[in-house]
Amino acid sequence: MRINKLIISALVILGFTSFSGVANAKCGNISIANMNWASANFMAEVDKVILEEGYGCTVELVPGATMPTFTSMQEKGEPDVAPEFWANAAIVALNKAVDEGKLHSINLAPITGLGEGWWVLPHTLKKHPELTSAAAILERPDLFPHPEDPSKGGFHICPPGWNCELSNRNHFRAWGMEAKGWKIVETGSAAGLDGSIAKAAERGENWFGYYWSPTSIIGKYDMQAVDMGEWGGKDNWDNCIVKPEQECADPKKTSWVKSEVFTIATDNFKKTAGKDGMDYLKKRVYPGPVMNGMLVWMGENQAEGADAAIEFLKTQEKVWSKWVSKSAAKKIKKAL
Amino acid sequence: MEFLNKIPVMDRTALRELKKGIDLSFKEFSRAYGEGIESFFDPLLYFLIWLEKILVSSPWPIVIGVFGLLAWVGSRSIKLVIGTIVCFMVIGYFGMWKNCMATVAIISVSTLVCIVVGIPIGVLMSKSSRAEKAILPVLDMMQTIPSFVYLIPIIMLLGIGKVPGLLAVCIYALPPIVRLTNLGIREVDKEALEASEAFGATPMQKLKSVQIPLSLPTIFAGVNQTIMMALAMVVIASMIGVKGLGVPILQAISNQYLALGMMNGLAIVALAIIFDRVTQKYGQRIQKHRGQKK
Repeated sequence: MRINKLIISALVILGFTSFSGVANAKCGNISIANMNWASANFMAEVDKVILEEGYGCTVELVPGATMPTFTSMQEKGEPDVAPEFWANAAIVALNKAVDEGKLHSINLAPITGLGEGWWVLPHTLKKHPELTSAAAILERPDLFPHPEDPSKGGFHICPPGWNCELSNRNHFRAWGMEAKGWKIVETGSAAGLDGSIAKAAERGENWFGYYWSPTSIIGKYDMQAVDMGEWGGKDNWDNCIVKPEQECADPKKTSWVKSEVFTIATDNFKKTAGKDGMDYLKKRVYPGPVMNGMLVWMGENQAEGADAAIEFLKTQEKVWSKWVSKSAAKKIKKAL
Repeated sequence: MEFLNKIPVMDRTALRELKKGIDLSFKEFSRAYGEGIESFFDPLLYFLIWLEKILVSSPWPIVIGVFGLLAWVGSRSIKLVIGTIVCFMVIGYFGMWKNCMATVAIISVSTLVCIVVGIPIGVLMSKSSRAEKAILPVLDMMQTIPSFVYLIPIIMLLGIGKVPGLLAVCIYALPPIVRLTNLGIREVDKEALEASEAFGATPMQKLKSVQIPLSLPTIFAGVNQTIMMALAMVVIASMIGVKGLGVPILQAISNQYLALGMMNGLAIVALAIIFDRVTQKYGQRIQKHRGQKK
């Protein structure tokens, strides 16, 4: 009796497990890095909904930040996907991991029109339409008074400790901005940098400094990128602009380096999600304005990425239906 | 049953509208009055810039000499004077002079502001129990509300830089001096007060020549605490663009620069110890004077 029961229960369990195995044959468990900034958070949530509802995967979101997530993906193969991975910081290691077959750079431009650089507010351009290039702006420090020394122009740079703090300081020297009457505004933190823009935009003051897209700030205030001129060469950038001041004796003017933002995935993702999943990630390209628009929506509604994902899938079908197969699109629509 | 298991919750959209409404009304307020408030603080800004410029651009031996002199005036202890001079020399030697001077400037000005604002409030509280009841919860809030919460409105109103930083420091550092002034005056001997009344002292005279002098040691403990709390805010202030020892610490945090963080952190500690010992010694000296009288 007892043995019989055991056998039966064993069979039952076996049956269940193999059954669920069949059900998920197309796609298994996947973990996606949920990075700690808004656009990546939003992308991870969209990927979660699409992969779960459209392709039958089971998706778990894992909190992450650029370098820790990359290290973990490379060493432990987990999480499986980083939807918005800023690769400049880890390009050498990433290339190596791709060569070894551990990781795949699936989508080399998941968001269009992104990048770092110098920006101004649109009302500045309305009043002074000639200020579209860095060269023109730098001639007018009087329009951008420094908060602590109004006789100088204020140039807002990154908070201390960020890589872009060093590069902005070197740009500052490369353009000879001190001689032109400019002074750096220390922003202290991301909140400080954002706050300085928000304040200037609300009050109709001029603002000039560093920022990056896609971000809700860029979308919200419709900030305009400043033309920084010609690319000054890889050597100038890699061996000078990004280094501390002591190691960069003679920086040269240059545009900002192109931001390499990829969607990367582990080999495990390729196996579990199969061709369908890979195809989806390959095709999934957010047009810059759409992304900025979603970020603005998130900011205005103080919404999480998950809310934004639903909002996006509901309202922007034209954008996302091109990314998925017809049958998957139907399933996703039904699930909403 | 459902009522017991689920806490009543505000409707999501209504909650969102409420939050949006608060944000919007603050933005409107800042748009309307921001510039005015900013220019109100201009004199403070100029004073801060001036002080920092003097500290940074004067020859270092003079600056250290002045610090040593101040330490002597405060403590009358040669050990403390030597300690002060050595500390500042070491800070300078490790390349932290400029940041250290910026920090000293903002700490001294914010302490000054706290004293000027805090002592009258403390006096008011000691005179009127109703005022005390009204002000105490505000002080509790100022001390416990996470500073990141009030940084956002401060930035919207005043932008980034020295003045908003100073304000953030003062919000946190003001309560001890108010509390201790209040306490000190309330603890003054009743007999001494009666005696002064018997001599026909007006309330103002009573306050000026009896209550405040007798409560000076307690008030001084408040000043000491205020300085300590101001120093604790150095890093937070740097997050909204105040130069000083907090900046390299922020750099160290985001890049795991152990040594850089330690050195600047220890420099803040050194400043704190110097300020603390000197003001404490000074407070003790006032007390000793009173002790001899008794």
